[in-house]
Amino acid sequence: MQLFFQTVVGGLSLGAIYALVALGFSLVYRTMGLVNFAHAGVVMVGAHVATTFYLFAKLPFAIAMAVAIGVTAAIGLVIERVLRPLENKDFDLMLIGTIGFGTVLEALAILRWGATGTAVPSPVRTAPLDLFGVRVRTYDLVVLGVAALATVLLVWFLHSTKRGAAMQAVAMDHEAATAVGIHVGRSNAIAFAIGAGLAALAGGLVGPLLYVSPAMGGSLGIKGFAGAIMGGFGSIPGAILGGLAIGVLDSFAAGHFQGYSELVTFLVFTVIIMVRPTGVFGERTVSRA
Amino acid sequence: MKLRLSLLAVVGIALWFLPYGLGPYAIHVVDIAIIFALLAVGLGLAMGVAGQINLAQVAFFGVSAYAVAILTARAGFGFWTAAVLAMVATLATGMVVGIPALRMQSHYLGIVTLGLALAFTNWVTNAELSGGAEGLGGIPVPPMFGIDLFSEYLYYYLELIVFAIALGFGMFVVRTRIGRRMRAMRDDALAAGAVGVEIPRLRMLAFAIASVYGGLAGVLYAGLIRYVAPETFSLANMFLLLAMVIIGGRQSLLGCVVGAVGLTLVREALVEFATYAQLAFGAVVVLMVVFAPTGLAGIPARVRRRFSRGQSALARAQLQPFAPSDVGDSRPESLAEPPPDLVASDLVASDLVASDLVASDLVASDLVAQRTSVARTGAEQAEAAARMILEVAKVTMRFRGLTALDGVSLAVREGEIRGIVGPNGSGKTTLFNIVSGLYRATAGKVAFDGEVVSRKRPYELSLLGVARTFQNLRLFATMTVRENVLVALDRSRTAWAWRYPLWPVGVWRGDAWLRAEADRLLAAYGLSEFADVLPSALPYGIQRRVEIARAMAGRPRLLLLDEPAAGLNADEVEQLATIVRAIRASGVTVVVIEHNMGLVMSLCEQITVLASGRVIAEGTPAQVVADTAVIEAYLGDARMLEAMT
Repeated sequence: MQLFFQTVVGGLSLGAIYALVALGFSLVYRTMGLVNFAHAGVVMVGAHVATTFYLFAKLPFAIAMAVAIGVTAAIGLVIERVLRPLENKDFDLMLIGTIGFGTVLEALAILRWGATGTAVPSPVRTAPLDLFGVRVRTYDLVVLGVAALATVLLVWFLHSTKRGAAMQAVAMDHEAATAVGIHVGRSNAIAFAIGAGLAALAGGLVGPLLYVSPAMGGSLGIKGFAGAIMGGFGSIPGAILGGLAIGVLDSFAAGHFQGYSELVTFLVFTVIIMVRPTGVFGERTVSRA
Repeated sequence: MKLRLSLLAVVGIALWFLPYGLGPYAIHVVDIAIIFALLAVGLGLAMGVAGQINLAQVAFFGVSAYAVAILTARAGFGFWTAAVLAMVATLATGMVVGIPALRMQSHYLGIVTLGLALAFTNWVTNAELSGGAEGLGGIPVPPMFGIDLFSEYLYYYLELIVFAIALGFGMFVVRTRIGRRMRAMRDDALAAGAVGVEIPRLRMLAFAIASVYGGLAGVLYAGLIRYVAPETFSLANMFLLLAMVIIGGRQSLLGCVVGAVGLTLVREALVEFATYAQLAFGAVVVLMVVFAPTGLAGIPARVRRRFSRGQSALARAQLQPFAPSDVGDSRPESLAEPPPDLVASDLVASDLVASDLVASDLVASDLVAQRTSVARTGAEQAEAAARMILEVAKVTMRFRGLTALDGVSLAVREGEIRGIVGPNGSGKTTLFNIVSGLYRATAGKVAFDGEVVSRKRPYELSLLGVARTFQNLRLFATMTVRENVLVALDRSRTAWAWRYPLWPVGVWRGDAWLRAEADRLLAAYGLSEFADVLPSALPYGIQRRVEIARAMAGRPRLLLLDEPAAGLNADEVEQLATIVRAIRASGVTVVVIEHNMGLVMSLCEQITVLASGRVIAEGTPAQVVADTAVIEAYLGDARMLEAMT
């Protein structure tokens, strides 16, 4: 039983990272119907920028994160601007376009930071806590706290600000939104920037948990994406739950199947998504004739 | 045609003599390029032609190469035995990866196939059987009647022959029935289902075909390199392959080949600057997607369109070339022909008609109904007058909180023209969607010709004899008018596809027959002139007529028309009425949703009025217009109206 809880706790911190990645995917998807496969690349760039400023410029961790968020938000704006002609048109083409962007980001990261990667020491150096016999790393708590805070802020933004309400309107019906005077392009750009910012947050936080390298995006991105789909694509609570679920699933797979954990995670994900393609909170999409 | 053949001959000869001008390293690069081209053709077929996002193509490649390696090096099989088993294993993998496509599409399918591909690399990197991260060597040189395939020059010819056959087969598929149906499915899966395309099986078939190409590439790779390692089948190579297909043009197999060969050569030239090459590929993919979505292969067509803009199609369309009276006259004649799926080439009868007859007896059971309606004479029609072809019993449809239909019942006699009218949002189109199988009713039953069909899928209903048009026109956008009709005309099932590998001549002959039939149908509907035009180039009124022709091509017994007169001018509405009467005269029952009351009144014998999801009146046009409930639904309370005037 103790092992069970230990595995759950171990999965939750990575799960929180996946949840942040999933949030970024979902936010962009619900606003503009775009599945951003470059998101993984943005996470990776965010991680590198945060690491660079934290380790080499010796800035405090929080400030390094803020810089990373700024940089990736700018990248998000560029991606949105370039792909804008395809918005609300061809889904598959956009998807491939973002894959192209992901490739570009990875190549740029290799050119700038090299292919080898960096280990990042944890910014919180206190001993692990002991909760009823389950060891909890303090940094894990930081990750969970930051993820929770980011979620609260995002929900507040979407529901209580004018800009957020405009974004919700675009998500529901972009043509109607245009008709009532919302600048859809700008709204999409903001969604993209926020999504990219969330990616940087995830990347920055994951640095001390994993190894920061240009290849780190792939697995993080796909698992975050899987989390978003499992929770119900486009749903905010779904993204959180889905991300955490993937984290825990991953943790159990790693415990039981060691090297084959990815194999197991993706097989389980495929089965779940086959049984319930709309995820837990997903809207049933009705095809209109 | 002659030009193409001579061009083909020139290319063939050039390829045959190519090795004479290449050094040992260059021929190695060419050998690799051909393998990538095979993979790209497979990906192009699945993604570009059938519209199935398949990010597991490199995994198919890997399954096959690894299977050959394991079977030869570990289990001691001979190369070709291992190759055959590897092809079977890859095909099985393709089918498994294709299963999710039955439930989900586009990005969902992308992530699932990508996840499964990652699962595969994860397995080969870890398993001892596959040699782990170091990979597995010791694959023997494929024996070939004393030809030493150790030489990469001689191996080139093996690859070239396999590739030529594979490419030719792929192009053959694209241009005939299966490919046409796949393209229809890619353009509009809903409309494709409504004209009888078996969507689920066709999706599986797309993955199966892609995996066969992946398998061939894997076998050739294993024989060429004789060593396999996980990084060959990594995500990076999957994205490279994707870039090849997108840059070359995913909808054209030749484009895919050009992309694959081009990118392999560029990658080789930039081998010292691999990262810059990756950067460039990514950037080019982004630019291609935004500025040239059809890739390099699509550029000639785009240039041509730019030059001829505003002249050809549109100018001709203004000529108004319809001959409405043709429809009634020639329809019965063309209907009397046997269904085209029965061009049973496997029977090898020299006389086409004879073979049709034999075949139709063989498969008579599932076509008996269709044929009786087709052959029905006037007397029989009167006899069947009392028969109900469509019965809707207490159908309720709820979308979450909204009740779109609330216990709707109606019955349509065979051979009748039934009008369905009602204010906007009264549930008319929802009713059509239920009858044609797009929606599954929350409660109630639908029976077609006495058989309960409430749980059938659109394609099953289409094959039973229900056809429909759509309110907002759903023509296959990248297919010509003739191809649009051909998709519906082709009533063969997906299982028919076994003829492709075993009896391609039959496929070809059947296709010629289909084309002739399509031309006859188009002539009847006055559309011959537009046969080779894309629907989007035509004015709205003509597009509407194309949709009706397409619906009728499937030889339905029940035709559902959803607002066929919307957007037509007075002249065109009149022609529409003529067409609908002609269709009925050929024995087809018509149900029409329409807002144009003049048309409904003159056309329909019976009218059903819907309001807020309920039937509020039913009867002859005269009865219905006199009904107070109908007046209220349309104009509000009648007394209030009187008070106001």
